Amino acid sequence: MIAGRGLHCSSPMAGFVLLLALVGVVLAVPSLIVEGAILLGVGCLVIISGDRPTQFLRRLRFVLLFALVLFIAQALSIHTGRVFVTSPVRITAGGLLAGAKMALRFLVILSASALFVQTTDPDRLAQGLIRMGVPYRYGYLLILALRFVPFFQDELRSVREAQRVRGIEVSVRSPRRIVHAVRYTFVPVLVSGLHRVDSIAISMKGRCFGLHPKRTTSREEPQSGWSLVALGVGGLAIALAIVAARGRWI
Amino acid sequence: MPSSERFDVAILKLTVRYPDRDRNALEAFSESLAEGEVVAIAGPSGCGKTTLCRTLAGFVPAMIPAIVSGDVRLGGESIRGVAPEALATRVGLVQQDPDAQICTLSAWQEVAFGPENLCLPAAEVRTRVERCLGELGIAHLRDRVTTTLSGGEKQRLAIASILAMQPRVLLFDEPTANLDPMGIQALFRTLADLVRVEERTLLIIEHRIDALLALGPRLVLLDRGKLVERYPARERIDYAEVGLRGAWSLPPAGAAAGSPRIAVDRLSFGYAEPLWRDLSFSLREGEVLAVIGPNGGGKTSLLRLLAGLATPREGTIERAAGTRVGFVFQHPHHQIFERTVRREMELEHPRGANAADAELRDARLEGLEDAAPLSLSLGEQRRLTMATTLARQPNLLLLDEPFIGQDRRNVLWMISRLREVVAAGGTAVLVTHDIPLAAALADRVLYLDREAQLLGHPDEVFGRLRDLGETAFTPEAWL
Repeated sequence: MIAGRGLHCSSPMAGFVLLLALVGVVLAVPSLIVEGAILLGVGCLVIISGDRPTQFLRRLRFVLLFALVLFIAQALSIHTGRVFVTSPVRITAGGLLAGAKMALRFLVILSASALFVQTTDPDRLAQGLIRMGVPYRYGYLLILALRFVPFFQDELRSVREAQRVRGIEVSVRSPRRIVHAVRYTFVPVLVSGLHRVDSIAISMKGRCFGLHPKRTTSREEPQSGWSLVALGVGGLAIALAIVAARGRWI
Repeated sequence: MPSSERFDVAILKLTVRYPDRDRNALEAFSESLAEGEVVAIAGPSGCGKTTLCRTLAGFVPAMIPAIVSGDVRLGGESIRGVAPEALATRVGLVQQDPDAQICTLSAWQEVAFGPENLCLPAAEVRTRVERCLGELGIAHLRDRVTTTLSGGEKQRLAIASILAMQPRVLLFDEPTANLDPMGIQALFRTLADLVRVEERTLLIIEHRIDALLALGPRLVLLDRGKLVERYPARERIDYAEVGLRGAWSLPPAGAAAGSPRIAVDRLSFGYAEPLWRDLSFSLREGEVLAVIGPNGGGKTSLLRLLAGLATPREGTIERAAGTRVGFVFQHPHHQIFERTVRREMELEHPRGANAADAELRDARLEGLEDAAPLSLSLGEQRRLTMATTLARQPNLLLLDEPFIGQDRRNVLWMISRLREVVAAGGTAVLVTHDIPLAAALADRVLYLDREAQLLGHPDEVFGRLRDLGETAFTPEAWL
C-alpha cells in the first residue's frame, strides 16, 4: 500500500519522466512565461500531493536565497535594453529579464527535483529502473547511495552528541580548530562509513547478491491514475514549450 | 522440507589469523554439527566466536583478509574456494550488528532481498516475506523505512531477512543482543520450529545462555581461539563456574540516602507521536535505576533527555548543581575518535597517560593499546567507551545496553565500576534487556512502554508486570 496522494501514488517512473520533461523544457526554451507557468504547476503539484507549501518552501529556503543572488548578479552585470537606473549601479531591462529567467530556471529545476525526491520511494524507483532493463547492480547503487544519506546524518548527530558528552570542543574559529573539528567529526564519520560499506557488502553477498545475472522483482507496482496525471503534466509542459518557441514568447 | 541427504557440518583443525594481530583468532578448532542440531558457542569477548561464524559463512578469507588453514565441510563438500554468495544458499549468517546488515530502504524489501537474488518466482518471494515477517512479529513494520526502526526492530528484520533465504545451516552472532525479552522468546520459538519441523542446523553465539535454554543446545566453550570444553545438550551448567551469564547473585547495594541528583517532572517525548507522557520521577545520590521495556519504547530517548542531548516535548528535567554526566552509548563506535586504543584513552583524560594505562589494564584491554579501536570486537569497544567515560569521573552515569557482547567476567567488571560511582555519591541509570541482571543490580526499576510506565522497587514493578501478563519482563522467566 502506498501512503499519501497525488505524486506520492504515481509510479516512480512517471514521476521521473515528469521531472525530465520539466527540466528539459526550461533548459531548451528560455522563456519567462514558460518558466513561470511551470513553477506555478510545480506549486500546484505540491498542494495536490498533500504536502504543505510552507514546509516545502522552508526546505527550499537556501535555494530561494541563491535564486535571489543569481537574479541580482545577472541584473547588475548585463546592460542591454532600456535603462532604469544609472547610479550607483546600472540596471537595465535586459539585465532584469536575464536575471528573472536565470532565477526562475534555477527554481524550476530545484523545486521539481525536490518534489520528485519528496514524493518518490527510492526503492520503487530502483525497482522501476530494473524493470526497464537497467542492470540490477546499478539499480542497487542508487538504493545504497540513498541508504547512506540518513546513515551519515545519524552518524554526524551521534558523533556530535558524543563530543558534547566527552567534553571535546569543536569550533571553526581558527585554522587549528578547523583541523581539530575535521579530525574529531568528519574522520570518525568517514571511518564509520567505510566500516559500514564493508559490512553491507558482506550482508549483500551473504544473501546471494550477484549470484545470478538477473534477479526477481517481486513487489508489484500498483496502477494509479496519478501516473497518468504526472505524464499529462509533462506532456502539457512540452506542448507549452513548443508553442512558446514558435511564438517567440519572452 | 527435510532432505533425504545428510547435511552435517564438519570443522577440521580450523586456524585463522588476521594480518594485524599477533595471535591466532582461531587455533586448530575442530567440531562437528549433525543436521538438525543446535549448538551454542560461548566464551570470553574476543575469543574467536565471530571469526568462526564468518569463516563458516565464507566471508573469511574471501572478504575479510586472513590466513586460514584447516577445512570446513558442508554435507561432505569443502567450502574452500567457494564464493560467499554461492555458499549463502546453504549457510546464512545473522550478524552481530543489525544496522550493518540492512541494505535496503523498506522492511518488506529487506526481507525480499535474498529470495529475489535467488531468482525465485515473485509469488514465492512474497509468500516467504510475509511468513518471515509474521514469524518474527514484525508484519506491522512491512512498509516502514528501515532507517527509522529501533535497534530491536532492526534485529528482528535482519533475522527475518536471513530466514527468508531458507539456508540449511543458520549462524547467529548474538541474536538476542538488541531484542527485548518478548522478542527473545518469540525468536527462540521460531528457531525451535525450524529445528523440529525442518531439521535446520543452528549454531548460536550467545553470552546469555539462560535465553537459549528452551532450545536445549549442546554447548561449546572457546577461549583465545581454542576449544575449552563441550557440554552435552540439556546438561545443567553452573553458569558462574564456567564464566557464563545467566544467574546473578550480587551483594546488595546500600540504600539510597543521598541528596536529589536529578528530578524529572511530567516529561513527554516522541517524534510524530508521543512515545510517553507525564513521566515524573527523581533520583538520589547513591541510587541505581534500571530502565526496561519493549523495543521502540523510548528507553534510549530517556537517557538522551537525562543527558541533555535531546529536548522534551513537554516537562522539565532538573539536575543538581555540580552534576557531571557520563554517557555510554549503545553503539560504541560513535564514541571513538582516535586511531589507537591508547590515544583514545588519553584523549581529554583529566589525569594523564599513566592513569590511562592503568585504566586500560583495568578494562582488560592490555595488549590492545596500539590496535585501532574500531578493529576491536564490539564487547571490547564497549569496555573502552566505558573506561573513557569513567575517566571523567561522572556522578550521573547513563549506560545504554552496556552488557551486550560481554562475558560474565566483563559484566562483573562493569558492575563493580558502576557501584564505585554510586558508592562515591553518584547516580546510575541503566537501560538493559537483561532482566535478571536488572533485578539483581537496581534499587528501582522503570518499565517504559507506550501504554504503561511503571516505576518502583524491583519486586513491586515485576509483580505489577506479572499482573499485567508481561511475564517475559520478569526475572523468573529467565531462570
